[in-house]
Amino acid sequence: MRSLLSLFSLLAFLFAAAVSALSTSGNRLLVILDDVAEKESYSKFLGDLESRGFQLSFESPKSESLALFHLGERRYDHVVFFPTKTKGLGPNLTPNILVDFMNANGNVLVTLTSGTAAPNSLVSLLTELEIQLPADRTNLVVDHFHYDAASAADTHDVLLLPPPTSVRPDIKNYFGAGAGKDDVLAFPRGVGAALGASELLTPILRAPRTAYSYNPKEQAEVVDDVFAAGEQLSLVSAFQARNSARLTLVGAAEMLQDKWFDVEVTKAGANKAAKTFNREFAKRVSGWTFNEIGVLRVNWIEHHLNEAGGNNESNPTIYRIKNDVKYTISLSEYVWTTWSLFTVPANDALQLEFSMLSPFHRLALTPSAAYTSAGESESGYSATFKLPDQHGIFNFKINYKRPFVSNVEEKNTVSVRHMAHDEWPRSFVISGAWPWITGVGVTVAGWLGFCALWMYSAPVGGKRAGSKKTQ
Amino acid sequence: MSADPLQVLASAGKGESTRGLLRVIILLLIAAAAIASRLFSVIRFESIIHEFDPWFNFRATKYLVANGFYNFWDWFDDRTWHPLGRVTGGTLYPGLMVTSGIIYHALRALTIPVDIRNICVLLAPACSGLTAVATYLLTNEMTPSPSAGLLAALFMGIAPGYISRSVAGSYDNEAIAIFLLVFTFYLWIKALKQGSMLWGALCALFYGYMVASWGGYAFITCLLPLHAFVLICMGRYSTRLYVSYTTWYALGTLASMQIPFVGFLPVKTSEHMPALGIFGFLQLLAFLDYVRAAMPSRQFQTFLWMFAGGTFGLSLLGLVLATSAGVIAPWGGRFYSLWDTSYAKIHIPIIASVSEHQPTAWPAFFFDLNMLIWLFPVGVYLCFQELADEHVFIVVYAVFGSYFAGVMVRLMLTLTPVVCVAAAIAVSTLLDTYLRAKLPKPEEIQAAEASEGKKGAKSGLKSTSKPVVGVYAIWGKSMMVSALAVYLLIFVLHCTWVTSNAYSSPSVVLASRLPDGSQHIIDDYREAYQWLRQNTREDAKIMSWWDYGYQIGGMADRPTLVDNNTWNNTHIATVGKAMSSSEEVSYPIMRQHEVDYVLVVFGGLLGYSGDDINKFLWMVRIAEGIWPEEISERSFFTPRGEYRVDGEATEAMKNSLMYKMSYYNYNNLFPPGKAMDRMRNSLLPEVGPTLSTLDEAFTSENWIIRIYKVKDLDNLGRDHTSAAAFDRGHKKAKKASKKRGPRRLRVD
Amino acid sequence: MRFTQSIAPVLLLLTAGVAQAASAWGFDDGSLAVVAKKSGGTSKEKLSQKAPLSKPVSLGSTDTLKLLLTAKDNGKGKRPHQAFLVLQEPESGLEAPFPLTVKESGKAAVQISHKDLPVQLLAATKPLKASVVLASFGSAQGLNTPVFEVKIETDANAPPPTYEKPLRYGKQPEIHHTFGADPKSPPKVISLFFALAVAATLPALFISWVSLGGNLNHLSKAIGAAPLSHATFFGSIMAMEFVFFMYYTSWNLFQVLPVMGAVAAITVFSGTKALGEVQSRRLAGER
Repeated sequence: MRSLLSLFSLLAFLFAAAVSALSTSGNRLLVILDDVAEKESYSKFLGDLESRGFQLSFESPKSESLALFHLGERRYDHVVFFPTKTKGLGPNLTPNILVDFMNANGNVLVTLTSGTAAPNSLVSLLTELEIQLPADRTNLVVDHFHYDAASAADTHDVLLLPPPTSVRPDIKNYFGAGAGKDDVLAFPRGVGAALGASELLTPILRAPRTAYSYNPKEQAEVVDDVFAAGEQLSLVSAFQARNSARLTLVGAAEMLQDKWFDVEVTKAGANKAAKTFNREFAKRVSGWTFNEIGVLRVNWIEHHLNEAGGNNESNPTIYRIKNDVKYTISLSEYVWTTWSLFTVPANDALQLEFSMLSPFHRLALTPSAAYTSAGESESGYSATFKLPDQHGIFNFKINYKRPFVSNVEEKNTVSVRHMAHDEWPRSFVISGAWPWITGVGVTVAGWLGFCALWMYSAPVGGKRAGSKKTQ
Repeated sequence: MSADPLQVLASAGKGESTRGLLRVIILLLIAAAAIASRLFSVIRFESIIHEFDPWFNFRATKYLVANGFYNFWDWFDDRTWHPLGRVTGGTLYPGLMVTSGIIYHALRALTIPVDIRNICVLLAPACSGLTAVATYLLTNEMTPSPSAGLLAALFMGIAPGYISRSVAGSYDNEAIAIFLLVFTFYLWIKALKQGSMLWGALCALFYGYMVASWGGYAFITCLLPLHAFVLICMGRYSTRLYVSYTTWYALGTLASMQIPFVGFLPVKTSEHMPALGIFGFLQLLAFLDYVRAAMPSRQFQTFLWMFAGGTFGLSLLGLVLATSAGVIAPWGGRFYSLWDTSYAKIHIPIIASVSEHQPTAWPAFFFDLNMLIWLFPVGVYLCFQELADEHVFIVVYAVFGSYFAGVMVRLMLTLTPVVCVAAAIAVSTLLDTYLRAKLPKPEEIQAAEASEGKKGAKSGLKSTSKPVVGVYAIWGKSMMVSALAVYLLIFVLHCTWVTSNAYSSPSVVLASRLPDGSQHIIDDYREAYQWLRQNTREDAKIMSWWDYGYQIGGMADRPTLVDNNTWNNTHIATVGKAMSSSEEVSYPIMRQHEVDYVLVVFGGLLGYSGDDINKFLWMVRIAEGIWPEEISERSFFTPRGEYRVDGEATEAMKNSLMYKMSYYNYNNLFPPGKAMDRMRNSLLPEVGPTLSTLDEAFTSENWIIRIYKVKDLDNLGRDHTSAAAFDRGHKKAKKASKKRGPRRLRVD
Repeated sequence: MRFTQSIAPVLLLLTAGVAQAASAWGFDDGSLAVVAKKSGGTSKEKLSQKAPLSKPVSLGSTDTLKLLLTAKDNGKGKRPHQAFLVLQEPESGLEAPFPLTVKESGKAAVQISHKDLPVQLLAATKPLKASVVLASFGSAQGLNTPVFEVKIETDANAPPPTYEKPLRYGKQPEIHHTFGADPKSPPKVISLFFALAVAATLPALFISWVSLGGNLNHLSKAIGAAPLSHATFFGSIMAMEFVFFMYYTSWNLFQVLPVMGAVAAITVFSGTKALGEVQSRRLAGER
């Protein structure tokens, strides 16, 4: 019966997987374009998306029918903004609606291009996220050292960059991993952004050290005041909200156009032409934004008493101080089409906190083979430890938040009680109590002896008997 | 047996057994009256637990009944003092709950299914009946007049000073403890009079019960040694005293140490040291007594001085050393506040903040004791006249009881029994004097004259003639007796009036009168608690000032941060800090303590005086005690030293969470610029406060209770102020100014 | 081998630039001055694009650093589009660009003082690396060369610039709870000694009683007078002690209380009889 049920559910799951998109959070994708005809230039990018199972809808910001919400529910799971000429995006895409969309777990991919001013609505949305765009919105990123000599020998506005590496050694490289040595990314006529200090932001692609952003209209001759330069200039940036809703800002929309997908470029100063990495990069950036990679799932959490002879109840609500406890969490990571094992990056650790007001323990969880599923899609991580000698209401807390990985924030509350009156070691076990126990015994024996003596003793002398009588 | 009813009636009072029966019937009637007069609240409102502490006792009793005695003993309560929890089983006096539990199980065994709530509600009146009987017994030990006991029982039964703590629904430790107090005193007097180990052991047993029931047991612990000490000083040392005191002390101390909350306190704290000291002193005296019997008196004198002086010096030295070494805890703060009424206000604001810890106002004595208060000295005077051992007890009790009742309002309760006893002695003496005084027979007078020999025949002649004025005159007798009867009647009226008007309100439900005179019930508290119970997660943590902790735990069944068991001053100060700081400071505190909802009591709309703004200064003071550099009471007063809530309120006041929560959206009720706080009679500023870290979740019908939900962290990582501003449509100010400071670099 | 590998691209780049366009950016007349505001004193150094200054210059809190140079494209003074002085904090690699104001002739200057520096650079403990970037559109090869190092001297009187690291998600240091010490018992020998000493008082007590004339001579008399009550009374006293013992070892309160009540009742009933007998002996002068 049980196996039948599980077979059925497996079939149901497979069926659902085949029909729906392979993103973990839905497949309804809205593409915002000035003109639907423009989509031709992005045909490969959009075709890739469609082939990955997304249902694309195209809308112009001026469209009356455009609405992100219907009766309070999201109508789309993801939105892509391609550059639009209009300054505003109309009443259906106000920054507040976009914030609501993200608060409702919707993902957003924003593309900009130099020469076209970014719409107000998007600018103020990005400002809320601490992504700062140049004041005049038409800035251009140039680098006189790393440009495509084939297409921009004179203007230097097509940057050629190596595929991105991790900003920190403990972050998995989702965007540049596996790229060939000669692969380059072309970043044509893009806008760079300066990122604020927010922990929710991470640059995906940073500008080379010699790149800078300038205003081609006002600063054509010389750059007197620079908006941002070097690695502070983020060309492709990622934002992941606390609810794991994602927003990616791609500074150059042209990057995603067909013409830059398979084109040969020549690095400045080099003779050899190289293929661009743009198509794969575009796939990864959109895949990340639309929850196809970097998504973690908590399968289950279990904790129990780890003491010989103790209660083996799962997830009890109460423990005692100084109990030995084992905690296990099972995680899976979604990789494009399937849930698979999650492995913690080499320099990182999945940490468990046992906390009341502040953590009492913070321990790294170790992979446990026993809990790793046979289907190789769930990896178990566990830790054993002794509960602190402080009673109170504690939380087993997993707060695994890393750039590019969806947030895992799990809190399991347990009470840790004091020692019950009958859980202390008995007094005869404690050597220091022996004199006292002996004292009790002596008193008892003495009392019985006294009773016998008092009742049954015969007087030995008259005087003694007399003195007793007076009492 | 005559058939004439008149004769039956006349002869009824004659026989000893009939008198006994009559006395039992009268006592039962008194007990019934005592119980009946406490039922006002049940009749007026409903069978409901009152006030604050009783809610905890009720909850604990339910736990006891549901989980059994041993689980109760080891109870770790994870729904209070979040996230510290409370080792409740080890930090309460279990007597009350265990008593109710026993009654509950006994009734079940008798197949009478009674709701535990009704047992809890009616326990206090039931105990008051017992108290009346115990007072009767105690008084009977004082005076041979049987009427004194009955009068004392009657006084005790209806004296408002005791009723204040024992109306139906007032399920508090005092409810049962006063009975135990009086009964322990009775047993002590009995033991002392007879020098009996049995009575001494019984006294110790009930003392143990008392310790299990109420922290006020220290009153007995100090009064009995004091009584013994006074007796010794009066040269009344006897083996009776030795036997009764030693038995009581040894067994009583052992019994008291069985209560986990008391534990080793009887040998560790200063409050218990007098009892131990007198115990040692009595051993010394007994030894000296023995030595005196075996030694010539001259030698004995020198021996006595040497020995007594040496022992006293040594024990004093030992006490001082032990105290300074920390073996014996010095006097606690609550104890100091008994001697210096301003001590608490300066050093322990948390104690001073409780209204029942305030010094008693004079009118309260008349209000609570009425005519007893002026009969009381008469009774004490009469005790002085006889001054047997037991009368010394009354005198000592009277002196100390009066002092403590003057210092702390709630200790009026411990004074009431002695007042009733003394007043009963006074009234019965008066009545006896005037009702029983028969004209002395001529032979007696002559005998008296013969013995005195001085007084001439004049007096004899005068007394033999029919008196018109004086003790023996019918007129004087009737005057006196009727006056007393009127006083007694007025006393009954007063007691009933006070009980009905002052002490029978559950304080959970407020009653008010509509203009047409009909009663209007204001039930905001229960409305709000019910809302919490039905609309929040079961483990939603509620932050409120500690006064409401027990009620939230009992009525809403939700975990609280602090409650009326004020054991952790720091935790209370944390809540005080969160309430009195600005949102930016409070929010991290609330996040850290996992607060889901904040509850405030606001009386501005209704003019309800017991609200949080009126208690606010205590929160500030308590928080200031822990964080003097962050919170300052001064900053809540205007430069002219006024505590204001209107437009001229200080910045600290206007920014405090408490102020914002109280007045949030309040001016929407009024036409612009007319928002009025009816409690403090002040016109509020036209623009009300804004809240960015809290959402208003619930406001009760009369705005007495307001509940706010604590917002989660902003999803997009903004601070709440700017997130709220964005929601209201304000765009972030662009940093467009050319003259910006140094570049801000991002570090990854 | 490694060395040549790393140097090779640079060489290649240089040669390529020369070969391809035969045009490259450079500068002349470079000079660096640190002007102290208080004393007005200046220290001047010559800069060259070939090699950086050997010693770091120091920049006090009120000082101003002045850099002057003439940008040249292939030896001719010309205005480049990009003329930056880039300061780099060597530990984190953070860089801040300072654009030079360039005249048509290529003459360029920049002034930097503490208030222009980002806080991370201000709080740096090691000297900052300064490099000059000169580049422009077209084919001319840009210049990016380190020129000097600058040490930031903070004012000893003013509070040092504080830089709080922003929150970054990552692993945090591990915490292990330190447990309070368990209660300790004295050495077993001492406990044992005192236990024996306490136990020794019992024989001492009995011996002293016997030596003072204690005896059980009346036992037969008492048993004879009231056999049942004496037996049950003494038995009940022992039974009570047994109840206490059972409470200590295994029973709980609810098992103890009824047994205790029963035993106590027996004690009281038999006790009145037995003690009455004792009293009768006392009254008879036999005690």
